[in-house]
Amino acid sequence: MSPEGRLRRIGWIAALAVCTAFYLMLHLKVHSVRSEVVRAERQIVALENQKLLLETEFETRSNQLQLAAWNRVDFGYTAPSAAQFLENERQLASFGSPRAPGAPAPIRVAGGAGEDMPGFPKLVSPLTGKPIDEALVGPEPQLSGQRVADRGSMRIPLSAVVKQ
Amino acid sequence: MNSLAVPAQAATGRVQLVDVRRRVLLLAQLRMLLVGAVFVAIAAAAMLRIAWIGVVEPAPSQRSMAAALLPPRGEITDRNGVPLARAFPAYALWFNPNAMDDGGPPLVQSAEAVAARLKAIFPDLDQHEVAQQLASGKAGYLRRRVLPEDANRVMALGELALELPRETDRHYPQGSMAAHVLGYVDEDGNGHVGMEAALNEQLMDPNRRAEPVALSIDARVQGALEDELNRGMRSVSAAGAAGIVLDVDTGEVMALASLPEFDPNKIDAEGQRNMFNRVTNQVYELGSTFKPLTVAAAIDAGTITDLSRRYPATPFQVSGFTIGDSHPLGASLNAPEILIHSSNIGTAHIVDGLGPARMKRVMADLGFNERPYIELPARGFPIWASGEWPRLRAMTVGYGHGIAVTPLHLASAYAAMVNGGIWRPATLHKVEPGQASRGRRVFKASTSARMNQLLRMISLYGTGRNANAPGFRVGGKTGSAEKPGSGGYNKTSLVSTFAAAFPMDDPRYVVIVMFDEPKGTAASSFQRTAAWNAAPTVGRLIPRIGPLLGVLPDETRDVDLSDVKPLVGEDE
Repeated sequence: MSPEGRLRRIGWIAALAVCTAFYLMLHLKVHSVRSEVVRAERQIVALENQKLLLETEFETRSNQLQLAAWNRVDFGYTAPSAAQFLENERQLASFGSPRAPGAPAPIRVAGGAGEDMPGFPKLVSPLTGKPIDEALVGPEPQLSGQRVADRGSMRIPLSAVVKQ
Repeated sequence: MNSLAVPAQAATGRVQLVDVRRRVLLLAQLRMLLVGAVFVAIAAAAMLRIAWIGVVEPAPSQRSMAAALLPPRGEITDRNGVPLARAFPAYALWFNPNAMDDGGPPLVQSAEAVAARLKAIFPDLDQHEVAQQLASGKAGYLRRRVLPEDANRVMALGELALELPRETDRHYPQGSMAAHVLGYVDEDGNGHVGMEAALNEQLMDPNRRAEPVALSIDARVQGALEDELNRGMRSVSAAGAAGIVLDVDTGEVMALASLPEFDPNKIDAEGQRNMFNRVTNQVYELGSTFKPLTVAAAIDAGTITDLSRRYPATPFQVSGFTIGDSHPLGASLNAPEILIHSSNIGTAHIVDGLGPARMKRVMADLGFNERPYIELPARGFPIWASGEWPRLRAMTVGYGHGIAVTPLHLASAYAAMVNGGIWRPATLHKVEPGQASRGRRVFKASTSARMNQLLRMISLYGTGRNANAPGFRVGGKTGSAEKPGSGGYNKTSLVSTFAAAFPMDDPRYVVIVMFDEPKGTAASSFQRTAAWNAAPTVGRLIPRIGPLLGVLPDETRDVDLSDVKPLVGEDE
């Protein structure tokens, strides 16, 4: 074997060794990330359980019997009567009375309707100070075809973790 | 010679010495090598093991979170997602005298000291009893439910014999509310009495239990119903009470209460006694609340075409039995007056015109000949006369005697009467819009519209005036039936019922309130009849639940009564 051939072979072996070393490092990294994910999951489970506990405690302390007892003893609220409900604008308008002849003109408050008024300010993020993107303010798109249990104890899309 | 011989001896000795030294050195090196090899082998094994764990063995499965979050038993919520029953991770406090495993005493401190320290954590603990239990050395529960923070404090006591096994517990955050609807779960994890029993399989199924089961119940309405029933029951010293709020268009039960109640969180002997459901399991002769159904049947069959037709109102004999009224109501009455004054005699005449066969068929169409339709396991069979009904039987059924049904039967029948004539089975499952069962037609829509007018008149001018909550257009009928006892009816123990619907211009909910054996008290003006106990309860309940159910009070709306109003006197 010529010296060049030997050199090439050593080069190949070195390259293989380096690749193997990198592969091992990557593999270990992947495993460590996975372990972190699992740890995070455990933390989520613990927090969910804690949330369940607190929510249940809140529900228990504010149960209907308790609220009724507080209302009877402490507050004495009664059900609203018919006079306390307004169904529509027409009903609201029926409370007003037309201006009598000779009545003073209603006071007009200065308002910004002139042409030099700037446009209505956009919704600005309190964190960045920049106008908020409309798309961010809109409702979250529904995940279709996924089982989303957003009530009760299960608030995480289970299908994201359970392999169907 | 001697001098020569000595060095020679010394020389051989030195050689031997060198030899020994070399051998010892070799042995030492060999041992060093051996020890080193062992260390290297151990290190290599450790490295290999680390590499194995890091590279070959799979990471912990990702299913762990889903499995950990899957409740051991599904959650039950009301129609708005308020939890009514949930599996609750809890700890129990268990005394294990063998935990130390050294033959010595089970506790580090004395039993009294441990009991005193436990008492500091659980103020309601019986210190003496616990001290005795700890001293007796017998294993057993000290407490069935321990909160996590209390569990930590128990751990801090440092007693190994106090164990805190993790137990999943069924918790009902609303306490005794809706207990008859929910039921309870026994120590083996099986549901009993209510929906816990009816849904047992679904709640235990690992594929379905992650999703909470929504009932048709509305927790706020249920709370208001129980509160008002309780108040009414106490004010008239009744033995029991029952109430139901039913959606007339879907058959959904919005609230269902049977008092006295039990606490599903804590089942004891008294709770066991109160588990009987008066709404779905107990059959009653519900008395005059049947009269509107009779009138509806007659209008539907065409035997009442003229509401102004007058029927005699004097007691009369049928098959040796005298049909009479509680008080004289004049010589004659027309159909609206019969309902307003609740006349047995008038109703009997209407049934006479209708005929027993048609009367029986309408009652059967309303489901009075079978157990009520509901998911609960406890459903009472009505007392229903089979075969051909004689004239007298039809007449007594016409005013609610000689037939005994559950309050739920009555609610479903009233729903059919006011909703346009469609009878639908009652359900405790939440019904999505447009998914209501088709039901069957019992009355014509025109009959239903007429009955809405008549029911409204009863609560405007008749016995139901105490239920007329302003703005809610309540219509309904009272019923005060004597309870059958040994040797005929018992004059002094009544079942008072008020069957109502609201708002009558577009009926959406039926409300039934029933008191079992109410007494005449100052709160009911010393009266026992439904007009003085059940009707006022409905009158207080509807303003509380109406806005929650989307019925806003409005004084400017009502049923058009202009064509029936002239039929009853102005003084009514």
